[in-house]
Amino acid sequence: MIEFLIPLIKVILALVWLLLLTLYVADWVERKESAIIHDRIGANRASIFGLRMIGLFQPFADAIKMIFKEDFTPSFSRKFLHSLAPFLSFFFVAVTIAAIPFGDTIRIGSRIIKLQVLDINVTLLFVLAMMSLGIYGVILAGWASNNRFSLLGGIRGAAQLISYEVAFGLSLVGLIMIYPSLKLSSIVHSQGELLFGFIPKWGIFLQPLGFIVFLFAALAETKRVPFDLPEGESEIIGFYTEYSGLKWGLFMMTDGMEIVIVSTLMTTLFFGGWQVPWLQADGFHWPWGGEWFLASWIVVILQVLAFNLKVFFFCWFQVLLRWTYPRFRYDQLMDLGWKLLIPLSLVNIVGTGIIMSL
Amino acid sequence: MIRALGYFIEIIRGSLITARHFMANMFFHILKVLGIKTKRKGAVTIQYPEEKKELASRHRSLHRIMTREDGQPRCVVCMLCVTVCPSECIYVEAAEDPDPEIQKRPSQFVIDLNRCCFCGFCVEACPEDAIRMDTGKVEIAQYDRQDLIYDLDKLKE
Amino acid sequence: MIKIIIDDKTVEAKEGTTVLSAAKLAGIQIPHLCYHAAFIPEGSCRMCLVEIEGFPKLELACSTQVKEDLRVWTQSKKVTEARKGVLEFILAEHPLDCPICDKAGECKLQDYYEEYGLFESQFKELKEKREKKVSIGERLILDRERCILCTRCVRFLREVTKTQELGVFNRGVRSEISTYDGELVDNNYSGNLTEVCPVGAITDTDFRFQIRSWFLQKGDSICPLCSRGCNISIEYHPGFARIPRKKRVYRITSRENLAVNDFWICDLGRYAYSYLDENRLSNFLSSLNGKNKRFDQESALQFAAQKIKKLYDKKKISRMTLILNSWLTNEELFLVRKIFRDDLRMQRIFMVDPSQGEKDKMLLTSERSPNRKGAEEIGFDFQSLDFKGLAGKTDVLVMFGEYLLDLASLEEIKAVLEGIETSILFSSKESALVSLFGLVFPTALAAEKSGSFTNCEGKIQSFEPVLESWGESRPEWQFLLELSRELDINSNYYNQIESTTAVLEKMREEISFFQKEK
Repeated sequence: MIEFLIPLIKVILALVWLLLLTLYVADWVERKESAIIHDRIGANRASIFGLRMIGLFQPFADAIKMIFKEDFTPSFSRKFLHSLAPFLSFFFVAVTIAAIPFGDTIRIGSRIIKLQVLDINVTLLFVLAMMSLGIYGVILAGWASNNRFSLLGGIRGAAQLISYEVAFGLSLVGLIMIYPSLKLSSIVHSQGELLFGFIPKWGIFLQPLGFIVFLFAALAETKRVPFDLPEGESEIIGFYTEYSGLKWGLFMMTDGMEIVIVSTLMTTLFFGGWQVPWLQADGFHWPWGGEWFLASWIVVILQVLAFNLKVFFFCWFQVLLRWTYPRFRYDQLMDLGWKLLIPLSLVNIVGTGIIMSL
Repeated sequence: MIRALGYFIEIIRGSLITARHFMANMFFHILKVLGIKTKRKGAVTIQYPEEKKELASRHRSLHRIMTREDGQPRCVVCMLCVTVCPSECIYVEAAEDPDPEIQKRPSQFVIDLNRCCFCGFCVEACPEDAIRMDTGKVEIAQYDRQDLIYDLDKLKE
Repeated sequence: MIKIIIDDKTVEAKEGTTVLSAAKLAGIQIPHLCYHAAFIPEGSCRMCLVEIEGFPKLELACSTQVKEDLRVWTQSKKVTEARKGVLEFILAEHPLDCPICDKAGECKLQDYYEEYGLFESQFKELKEKREKKVSIGERLILDRERCILCTRCVRFLREVTKTQELGVFNRGVRSEISTYDGELVDNNYSGNLTEVCPVGAITDTDFRFQIRSWFLQKGDSICPLCSRGCNISIEYHPGFARIPRKKRVYRITSRENLAVNDFWICDLGRYAYSYLDENRLSNFLSSLNGKNKRFDQESALQFAAQKIKKLYDKKKISRMTLILNSWLTNEELFLVRKIFRDDLRMQRIFMVDPSQGEKDKMLLTSERSPNRKGAEEIGFDFQSLDFKGLAGKTDVLVMFGEYLLDLASLEEIKAVLEGIETSILFSSKESALVSLFGLVFPTALAAEKSGSFTNCEGKIQSFEPVLESWGESRPEWQFLLELSRELDINSNYYNQIESTTAVLEKMREEISFFQKEK
């Protein structure tokens, strides 16, 4: 019984965490951050009993609005696929959260519980695979709408995602070579070690080139400005033109969720995941000597907090980029993917190999 | 390659600009939350219904009809405002005033604010300074078009 | 012919003309306030001062007669300085209450100030207060502040109407226009005083405060209220956007025509314009067999043509009666003659005119319709109509105008019309007759149609429409032409005709009276 309950609770907790963070990143952070960048204030009027809370209720107001909007399916669309597409899109992104380690392990009574839903040997491949499958949502949405502009948007999206999928995967090869594992939990564990005795062995320090390629590829995967060619909300028409109401909301949620997932991946792969520098299971071991012992539950809380902080930073960072850059032209987009990122990732692999063989 | 590097630097600089804006504004926002008063504010936004911007002294707001000491409108129905009005929103009708020095007074003075474009030409044209646009009222929206047709009594207020 | 030179321009003028009228003929405007072409010049306003070679001082253009080789300058510095000075003196006592003055916009003093003055007043003294509202006639109001004592009104009443009700009383700064012993100006031409007055001193209650003059548009027409055919301008308001206008016509003014009415029109023609806007018929009406069927122009004409055609085909056209009136234009009467008398060979055509009124010594004639002479020349006799006798003799009655009411009482008309199978009325007014007739065509008034009238002196005067037609109403000539097409008679002839000018051409070919006016 308890064997069954624990994974269920983990799944629920992970999903709640993901959805809440998504809601806030996609709506509140997005709106407030852009406002602050623009010297504005941003949405601050949604209130409960006059309590405004600097607009913290805005995501719920937006969500409620979205739910009660008319869900319009055009008569000319392919009904079933039209309804299926947003769910596909949503599902394949949401499911990747299972593979992300939120922390090390906690001990409750005699049980040792991993703070990760799914700890299989190929979690990294699982994440990559699921994110690739997300393309189907885009293509199906474009095609099932039966609107030529939606179809074009879908095709643009598919071409973009497939192109960047290559660089996305290749940029991680060097990382896999260094921490020889495809298991995210063991990659995070490996990052707890120290380089030269004082630098944490994080991916960013070992794979700086890999990180840059990964960053660009991951941004492209999220389909947001400056890579928002599939959608092009401001002028060119995109794959979810024919969507409204909650289905459109699902696409927007997917967008937000991709930010969160990409942030968790960056954190996990390049910034030590839940690792806090010099924090071991029993406390801090400072590189200049000296130790500070802590209770194990405090360590776990610190680690989970560190993970969340890092994820939130990258969410903030991606929103910042979205409000900074104009959109790429399509040929520039393709050039960047095929002519710059893929060669760079190949160079990274070769370089990593050479350094490792030394 | 060098050119691409140049772009790269510009890209980073670009995000630094937005980040700088964010940081600076955030700093002032936090100071405000902490209750520390600063000259500069985090945002230029005016929180409209609660805060109101002071209107410029020359601002053209809702019209009013000026009155003489006895409360009668100053208007003598010369119809220059009607003549000059580019949106043809003024309608005036004359009546005989018992005072031979005044002779002509308005029996009807209607401004159709549905049409009015607030150009202020009527104020410029008026030889008697009978119409002014200095009430400072800018919130004149109504749910009914009929409510936006202002007659003499409404304009005298 | 005498040659004079005005502003380096050689002008030929008849002996005895003044410099001012010679200049006017040559297209040179000399400002004047007291001069009026109809009166003997008085030279009291001093606006028309011009420089004449050989004269030591500036001379009055209005009263200096032309002489051979006279050299005149109307725009020299000395002249404009003088005009400015004169204006300053006139304006010293003029109140400048233009915003409430009905003359504003067409005031000569305003125009001249705009052209020559534009100075700040140098007078420190306050302007003299005078009476602003003196009733000097049934409709006339005198404002003594605005009066510049040009005495045009006095001269008009002395020289034109010869009634002499007004005069200049007192002397110097106390001079004022007034009536004798409170006797009001009471003649049929008093309305002309408002036009004669160059400023807004004399205004009429009819136009007072109604509208400002610059909103009005002017159209030339002929007065149809008596057989004189005075030339008039109809001044109408095109309407404010989105506000329903109360009336179209705001006033009638006279138009100069020395051959007919000089510069004047009578008060009847000036103030009785409300017939243009009141009680107008705007739709086709029918009460056939007690049922109200909706007619439009096409179906109404088809109905009328079918009834007439039926009689004609049965050779019973003698059972049709046509009643005309002399408000119809020459063209319309001619078309009636062609269609009904020449082509349908009808005999029973009568004229019923409005009842006669009183004539006066000048323009107003006793006939209250504009075209009696024309009807006679076209060939309609004015025999008296025995309306009650129509009952048994008529199947189809076609009537133009509503003047039958002058001839018989409403009950009598009703009794007669009940015995007539089809009765058709062409009327512009919603009179009591309208409900009695089977089918009523709404027709246009003279101000809304083109055509010509022959006045009592036999002068043919053409006019064009000034106002838009009222509702569905159309001019009678259009109905008649359409009717001829529906009747399908002599179509070669009527197909050549599309306008009133074409009808007039035909008249000139066929009737000798109309040739002389060519």
